[in-house]
Amino acid sequence: MSNTLKMAALGLALGVVASGPALAQEPYKIGISAGLTGYAATVDRAWRDGVELAVAAVNAKGGVAGRKLEVIVEDNRSEPQEAVTVYRKMLTSDKVNIFISGCVSAGNFAAAGLVVRAQVPMVLCSILPQQPDQVKWAYTTLPPAGFEVTKRLEYLKEKTDVKKIGVLHDPTPYANLQKAAAEKSAADYGIEVVGVEQYKQDDADLSVQIAKMKAAGAKAILKIGLGGTTLTAAKNIKQLGGDLLMLTSLEDIAVFKPVAEVLGDKFLFVASPSQVYEGLPAGPLKSEIGKFLEPWKAKFQDRDPNWASRGWDGVMLTVAAIEKAKSIEGPAVRDALETLSGFQGTTGVYDMSATVHQGLTKNPFFIATISDGKVKVVQ
Amino acid sequence: MKTLRSTTSPDWRSALRLLPWGLSALFVGYGFVAGGYPATVIGFALVYAVFVTGLNLFMGYTNQVSFGQNAFAAVGGYMSAVLTTTYQWPVVPAMGAGVAAAVLLALVIGYPTLRLKGHYLAMGTLAIGLITYEIAVEWQSVTQGYLGISGIPPLGVGSYEVTSDRGQLALLVAIVLASTFISARIRDSRMGRAFLALGASENGAMALGVDVARTKLLAFLVSAAFAALAGCLFVHVVGYVSPEVFGLHMVILGFTMLYVGGVGSVAGPLVGALIVSLMPEVFRGFKDYQDLAYGAALIVILIYAPRGLASLFDRAKARPRSADL
Repeated sequence: MSNTLKMAALGLALGVVASGPALAQEPYKIGISAGLTGYAATVDRAWRDGVELAVAAVNAKGGVAGRKLEVIVEDNRSEPQEAVTVYRKMLTSDKVNIFISGCVSAGNFAAAGLVVRAQVPMVLCSILPQQPDQVKWAYTTLPPAGFEVTKRLEYLKEKTDVKKIGVLHDPTPYANLQKAAAEKSAADYGIEVVGVEQYKQDDADLSVQIAKMKAAGAKAILKIGLGGTTLTAAKNIKQLGGDLLMLTSLEDIAVFKPVAEVLGDKFLFVASPSQVYEGLPAGPLKSEIGKFLEPWKAKFQDRDPNWASRGWDGVMLTVAAIEKAKSIEGPAVRDALETLSGFQGTTGVYDMSATVHQGLTKNPFFIATISDGKVKVVQ
Repeated sequence: MKTLRSTTSPDWRSALRLLPWGLSALFVGYGFVAGGYPATVIGFALVYAVFVTGLNLFMGYTNQVSFGQNAFAAVGGYMSAVLTTTYQWPVVPAMGAGVAAAVLLALVIGYPTLRLKGHYLAMGTLAIGLITYEIAVEWQSVTQGYLGISGIPPLGVGSYEVTSDRGQLALLVAIVLASTFISARIRDSRMGRAFLALGASENGAMALGVDVARTKLLAFLVSAAFAALAGCLFVHVVGYVSPEVFGLHMVILGFTMLYVGGVGSVAGPLVGALIVSLMPEVFRGFKDYQDLAYGAALIVILIYAPRGLASLFDRAKARPRSADL
């Protein structure tokens, strides 16, 4: 009898050990469709690194809802067709629970239909899709395009005598939205837009566009768009002479340093809070950025934190939504994301609602310049 | 007596010739069974098969070069997208209008362009593709530029819409089979023989009474129609279109598929489209080395099958034995 009991106890113990892995919770899977190669590579690699860093931080604290987070990254090559393929792979083969995808707007738009049909929420780096049924499932950490513009107009109004400006932009959707915002809001700041010129991201000379705006009386140029054209514009402005100011949109600080060497104090740029961390006053924003910057600097040293910090926010918003929903189901997480209000992120405070899925509703930006190789806030 | 004897028996010859079709059926069948991700990859491959079938008519049969087929895909795709989303046209008439517009454009630009030869023709057609791309970016009031057009309805007739993976795959298979059948019939027709004669030698074709300029233009128009159809299919399968879809990437991919599959063969476009679409997915697990593995595989294929994979199965063709000569 005693032996039978012992055998039963042993069997039970073995059974518990054997069933251990089966009882372990499946990880909560985060899919990233990112342009790791192609035109979006710089931005999307940083976004991915920010997401992975946040996931490591959350997992170090035990995960969320009793589950560890797992990241699945696929390269969409910055192409819409490839994006559809990788989204489909992550949906049907990897069975991801949410997408925290990169900044290739066309890729996110192309795949939005199938993501919505699968009832999987998206927290994006890019602008939101255009269809109402798709917007319902999509959220973005991207500030509204107007913020970058109004901050520059505000600076020109308050700190300079400039009354006429030119707008120089690339043809990307976000740049076009900024251009439209500049045309719409300039008058509110007593400023006239005397020229709007477009360039292509691989243009090697912008002197024609700049000379045209200068001839129309522009005293400052709002440059909108990423990449090496900022340095090209700076060189062209210097070649043309005069005291034209250049105020550029958000970009990697590494891109700005040579621009500052060319234009000196005639060059100003829009900076995100994480780029001017040292100059921020103590408070919830600085504290939140600090949580991100500590592991970021430990791993990537002086690499620009801007895009990665928004990837970090994407994960933290998701974690907050899961905790609020007490569920990992797609519809529940989507609904909870919509109710996140007053959520402190590294770029600002997110106030999501049923009608607002672009949660940064207060302008988080600063105007900065580079002096002696150091970023300095001027407004 | 000198005789031509096959190295393979007639039964095996027929069987070998059917092998590309069998393999293609296997891949497509797998897409049907698996659904989801494999169905998406196979679906894109079938859209490209239509595109490459057109390219094959112009490049394989008539031996001309066109780097501008993406222009016709863009015209077809955008026309269909705009008509269905902005003007609420039904899908089929919108696709018909897209194809007609692309053929009209091909007629207008083909007439002067096809007077060029060799490298000049290649450069001229490349310019057509680049110009069309720029128009798609800049004509924002119609194309919405890089923002793209979304909400494009799926393929279907009347109120019946094909939204499921397998339904779309079935429809695409039917369209690819019809395209391949048309391509085969053209090759065996009087027009096809003129294409082939032109491909072998322009002067020779002229000596045989072939109207070279007219035949070249005809081949260009037919290939533009296939490209436009592929563009239409793409936008209705994905439900979204932006200029990047019809960029230089499409041209490079089309060329790769044509040469991997077998330029000038009927089965080549389908085989090439399937292999070139599936290879990156097979190597996806290699992560950062995916492109390296993909490139290496392409090189191996082109070394061991320089006339394309479909040509491997033509080895059963009658071939003289040296002993018999």
